[in-house]
Amino acid sequence: MEADGSPRPIARELIDLIHRIGLEEVRERQRVSDLDILTMGISFTVYSDGENIDRAWPFDIVPRLIDGAEWSVVELGLAQRLRALNRFIDDVYNDQEIIADGIFPADLLEDSANYRPECRGVRPKFGVWAHISGSDLVRAGDGQLYVLEDNLRVPSGVSYVLENRGVAKRAFPELFQQHLIRPVDGYTDELNKLLASLAPEGRTDPTIVVLTPGIFNSAYFEHSFLAQRMGAELVEGQDLVVGDDDCVYMRTIQGLERVDVVYRRIDDLFIDPEAFNPDSMLGVAGLMRAWKAGNVGIANAPGAGVADDKCVYAWVPDMIRYYLGEEPLIPNVPTYRCMYDEERDFVLANIGELVLKPANESGGYGIVIGSRATPEELETAAAAVRADPRNWVAQPILDLSTAPTLVDEGIEPRHLDLRPFILTGEHSYVTAGGLTRVALTKGSLVVNSSQGGGSKDTWVVDGPLDGAATAPNGTQTNSQMQNQANG
Amino acid sequence: MALLSRVADRMYWAARYVERAEDSARVLRSYGDVLADLPISTSRWHPLVTISGSDVHLPAVAESDEAQVAQFLISDREHPNSIVNSVDNSRENLRTCREVLPREAWQTINDLSIYVRGAAVTSVERRRRDRFLARVIDESRRLDGVLTSTMTRDEVFEMWRLGRYIERADMTTRVLGVRAAGLLSQPEGSVDEFAEVQWMGVLRSLSALQMYQRATRGPIDGPAVVRFLLFDHRFPRSVAGCLAEMRTSILRLPEYSTVLGAIEAADRQLRQSRPAADDGAALDAAMESVQMALARLDAVMHEQYVVH
Repeated sequence: MEADGSPRPIARELIDLIHRIGLEEVRERQRVSDLDILTMGISFTVYSDGENIDRAWPFDIVPRLIDGAEWSVVELGLAQRLRALNRFIDDVYNDQEIIADGIFPADLLEDSANYRPECRGVRPKFGVWAHISGSDLVRAGDGQLYVLEDNLRVPSGVSYVLENRGVAKRAFPELFQQHLIRPVDGYTDELNKLLASLAPEGRTDPTIVVLTPGIFNSAYFEHSFLAQRMGAELVEGQDLVVGDDDCVYMRTIQGLERVDVVYRRIDDLFIDPEAFNPDSMLGVAGLMRAWKAGNVGIANAPGAGVADDKCVYAWVPDMIRYYLGEEPLIPNVPTYRCMYDEERDFVLANIGELVLKPANESGGYGIVIGSRATPEELETAAAAVRADPRNWVAQPILDLSTAPTLVDEGIEPRHLDLRPFILTGEHSYVTAGGLTRVALTKGSLVVNSSQGGGSKDTWVVDGPLDGAATAPNGTQTNSQMQNQANG
Repeated sequence: MALLSRVADRMYWAARYVERAEDSARVLRSYGDVLADLPISTSRWHPLVTISGSDVHLPAVAESDEAQVAQFLISDREHPNSIVNSVDNSRENLRTCREVLPREAWQTINDLSIYVRGAAVTSVERRRRDRFLARVIDESRRLDGVLTSTMTRDEVFEMWRLGRYIERADMTTRVLGVRAAGLLSQPEGSVDEFAEVQWMGVLRSLSALQMYQRATRGPIDGPAVVRFLLFDHRFPRSVAGCLAEMRTSILRLPEYSTVLGAIEAADRQLRQSRPAADDGAALDAAMESVQMALARLDAVMHEQYVVH
């Protein structure tokens, strides 16, 4: 909303439409969309009561809008960030110049839970390790988009970006006619090209497989979706075998067939029982051997998660400056590193106004939100920081942005985040928008679909933004357009 | 691109399960229809349980009770071949090979599965049953239609066809082994005024009545019905017809010689059953031998394409 309470121009059409058709019609369209999702079998798997249940994907019909001009900057910023992160990963597994130059502390690397010494000395094609990533963005109270975290291992959600768009087109066809909403469908084609480019030298018309942990994985729908869209084989560990020649093969009805690129959706500790967890039933014995010999491309490369760590995160702006000689286009959320005395003192003095995060946990475990913690909890947290300062970072409590969302009470503001997907190879590609996740409970910040969160289609809209101002060349400046951005 | 063994196996089973659901629906539908024309004293429901070929048998008392037999065949989760389980098994198999399927095909089975899960329990009741069974049959055919009209004739497609036809052949032998054999076994000289109605029921339960009449242009005669359903290879639900379709499919797959051999063996077994067409006990035994040949064919395919 604008300061005077009127809707921003980019959102005007949508709000007008909702007013015109009325809440009941909006609810009816929501019901039709829910039915679409059910019959198309768009689902995710949740584990509950000892059972894996295939559940319909939660989708909120009201789209989240983002201004095209703002997004163009975000795209550049994400591509920049992933270039720097990949340079960092390649560096720490090879020459470690960033450590020699005193920019990044050596002991932090050795302590990282996702550092894989087995990957030292490997030089993947293009120097790229994290080919597919999904960085989480949040818009704070100041209107600025921040990167909250980088997901460099096996980020999921992109299939829902594409599926949400299909459903949204049927829900609001009139808006797609009136606006230039950037398409999202090109993703799988770009992914296919990227994966093909990772094939070993000399392998033309490469065979690409998507390696899934199987039907019980929460993202199985996505694994299948991506394989289908790319015409790749969806394989499980048992379908692959590494030969004495250190090449990867799949078991077909005609016998063994060579595999050139593996898009693995299995955590790297499980991809190869020979190199990592010997009890893994999901992986393929010898896969690391084949990869190191250059006989197969793996995306994301094993070990890429070293840069996907809450502590390492704090160094990303420095990496961008160090490797690229550029200023970051999208800021980090300010992060205080408790390993440094000065920053730790600040954290301990202001613990009630900060979010404390353990560096080596994921999925929200161990996080302490200062403003919601009891004095006893704060004291315990402070003691934990003092005892093991290297394992803690702190960030200001963000005032997350909201967007109008259809809930039982009507259409109301709800908190959301955004996960764009970034492909990095010889070139970079960023999805137009990404997966918007929304907390359906009033005031809640929990957007996870497994915990009652929903999703929205994300529309990156290029001009004309306002029904009234239809000048095709656009008289608005970039900064004006950015100020008008919604969501 | 070569076909993964695991995917081949799942396609094959998805096809078998959906065919099983369709065939069970058809048998149950036509049987209920026939019984409506018969005096109540001759109503017997237990042959349907035998046809379903299940290892889990109902207690003897329940086998004569229409509601319990219908429940067993439609919505019983403990019965592995119930319609609701067959449809779900087909869906689960297809769910793990969605990447090789046309999208509409997945949606069709998913739709059917949602429908069956929601409606199965209430459709046991006679009033609602027919509509439910008709829908199961229609959706199963729609799935075939989607695949036939949109899918490349690759190995995935042939696996699907193999699954469909082996299950179909098996069902035809089971219907003949139980119901036709039962009708043929009635004591010499006893004139069953309802025989014709029941033979029509046998034909209807395989969607064969009209085609039988066109092919024979004569009255409904038990042995002629049996011969038609076994040997008229032009009819797509006859055992000979199903074997011919399987032969076509297998020739499009790699390294087929052992599997082709097993199809030929089943065909020889089928031809040996010719003299049994007018003797109930002999027919029952002959059908069992054909079923065993089909089971061997299934094992040979598994050996050749899945475990090798």
